[in-house]
Amino acid sequence: MGDSKVAYRYASSLLQTALENNTLEKVYHDLKLLIENFDKSGELKRAVESPVIKPEIKISFLKEIFSKKMDKETLKFIRFVIDKNREDVLYLIAEKFIDLRNEHLGIVELDVKTAFKFNEDQKQTVKSKFEKLLKKTVNLNVVVDNSLIGGFIAKVGDTVYDASLKHQLELLKKEFAQGSRSLN
Amino acid sequence: MSEVRPDEISAILRKQLSGFGSETDIYDVGTVLQIGDGIALVYGLGKVMLSELVEFPNDVIGMVLNLEEDSVGCVLFGDSSLVKEGDTVKRTKRVASIQVGEDMLGRVINPLGQPIDGKGAINSKKYLPIERKALGVIQRQPVKEPLQTGIAAVDSMIPIGRGQRELIIGDRQTGKTAVAIDAIINQKITHTEEAKSLGIKPVFCVYVAIGQKSSTVAQVVAKLQEQGAMDYTTVIVASASEPAPLQFIAPYSGATLGEHFRDNGMHALVVYDDLSKQAAAYRELSLLLRRPPGREAYPGDVFYLHSRLLERASKLSEDLGGGSLTALPIIETQQGDVSAYIPTNVISITDGQIYLESNLFNAGVRPAINVGISVSRVGGNAQIKAMKKVAGTLKLDLAQYRELEAFAKFGSDLDKSTQKTLAKGARLVELLKQNQYTPMPVERMVVGLFIGTNGYMDNIPVPDIKRFEKEVLEYFEVKHKDIYDVIKKEKVISDSTTEKIKTAAEEFLKVFKKSI
Repeated sequence: MGDSKVAYRYASSLLQTALENNTLEKVYHDLKLLIENFDKSGELKRAVESPVIKPEIKISFLKEIFSKKMDKETLKFIRFVIDKNREDVLYLIAEKFIDLRNEHLGIVELDVKTAFKFNEDQKQTVKSKFEKLLKKTVNLNVVVDNSLIGGFIAKVGDTVYDASLKHQLELLKKEFAQGSRSLN
Repeated sequence: MSEVRPDEISAILRKQLSGFGSETDIYDVGTVLQIGDGIALVYGLGKVMLSELVEFPNDVIGMVLNLEEDSVGCVLFGDSSLVKEGDTVKRTKRVASIQVGEDMLGRVINPLGQPIDGKGAINSKKYLPIERKALGVIQRQPVKEPLQTGIAAVDSMIPIGRGQRELIIGDRQTGKTAVAIDAIINQKITHTEEAKSLGIKPVFCVYVAIGQKSSTVAQVVAKLQEQGAMDYTTVIVASASEPAPLQFIAPYSGATLGEHFRDNGMHALVVYDDLSKQAAAYRELSLLLRRPPGREAYPGDVFYLHSRLLERASKLSEDLGGGSLTALPIIETQQGDVSAYIPTNVISITDGQIYLESNLFNAGVRPAINVGISVSRVGGNAQIKAMKKVAGTLKLDLAQYRELEAFAKFGSDLDKSTQKTLAKGARLVELLKQNQYTPMPVERMVVGLFIGTNGYMDNIPVPDIKRFEKEVLEYFEVKHKDIYDVIKKEKVISDSTTEKIKTAAEEFLKVFKKSI
């Protein structure tokens, strides 16, 4: 629980600095890369978060991996986090930073599950409809899920826009069950 | 089973389908991070409200009790084994609430308002949240109408007024529930035409059973039914097998049901049986929610738990209709220890307590009320004048009796006046004994106590007192019904009535003496 508070503080200070230095997009791409690599290699994540490995070693191998792909400022930040003994929340900080950056720019992630594959036109329609509805820039991720039978489910943050046939059928089932209770 | 007609079925199905829209459903969700012991930790549900109901899979309902930085703590009202980690939780956008209204009378429900008596759905459309703020000073007025319990010892010496909170406290098996049930049964009088003509407004009752055996609750319901008391009573059950969260909210549901009557200018009586079990249930779920434990492992807000419940009992001002909500909380003590945490808390919150003792109970004094330490802090104002008059000397006589009782045990020779006090006290104690489920109308009580306190019983042997009481009251009923009627109507004993009672009592005494 405390970790998320820590992550929020580091991430927001990084965001402020990035905005001042006009390096927001760079830092964003770097941290996205960091998350991708951590996701791909559990070993790397474990090594960074391990309290047994000495900070100097962590800094050196992170430098080796990322120095060519990352901006200097980002590397400096990672080093700073490790210096402060907060490397265990590095992943959380990166995640939080991306959230904060999206919030700052008014971008939302829209996860859409569809019963059948969307073509580009349909994707555009969904995107523009939601952009109009939410008044924000939408980042669309589409996944196909056959169990929906028909329609789609869109999820923005905690809010779900459910237009799937599966959900309709569930509601209908509930309606009938309730109806039978009141009839008895 | 009746015949099933296919065309009817399809008509019903079509009717149900007709109201079915196919619009996009928008709802908020979260994910279960951790589940166990009836507590779920949920990630997401960003906009959820405190004490909002949330829906888990398999029709399990939960309530939000903790809002934390990045998680939400919920308690489950159903089987927690039906919910798994990673399940989706849906908001209902409805704070925990219950249906209210006259439709609820005569029903047995659970604390969420769902019927559990097999009598079908409840059609009440009005919902009220179970946690409501108590009224302020402006909306209230002093307690001024009596709430007759039909128990002579209570109505004479520990009178309860409409809008009062009177604690019933005692060890197990001392008749706490019996006092409350008698009070409910006695409200039957207030629903008669006669009461209406006398200006007595009906009292609707709610009996909240918390953490009791289902068999005990079934017995109570059967008794209420048998006595015709279910017509104006709702029973809310959160039995011992129910999860702790349901036991925790049960009294609040009861208060909400009662408040509906109060807010509509009617009168309600709510019995919370018992709050010690509710406190234990709250302790259980507080500890599971990792709130820090305090004295006796209860959480720090256990006082607030009971004070916010009992503050909801009130007598409304005339501007708001003058309705009332009377609360009779029950607390079970361990070995007569009233200085434990919960008993002291509730004693300090309520406007008095009826203290029941097991040694009195075992000595045959039933109801086993210890009148010495039982008090009613506001009910005196609500007592009818006639009762006030006869009961004035009663408390004093009994106090003197108790003081001398200890001396009498030494067996030393006692002077005349001491013997007289002892004799009178023993007879009054006998007079105040009363069987269960036999509530007494107030006019009979007044006459009985008048005869008792004015020395008409002093020469009757103690074993004959109960018979004497029964017969004298019957004698008045048959021969001097006008006395009863006057007391009922005027609510005072005038000098002329006093004379009438005296002559009638002397007449009867002459007849009775022959039968001793």
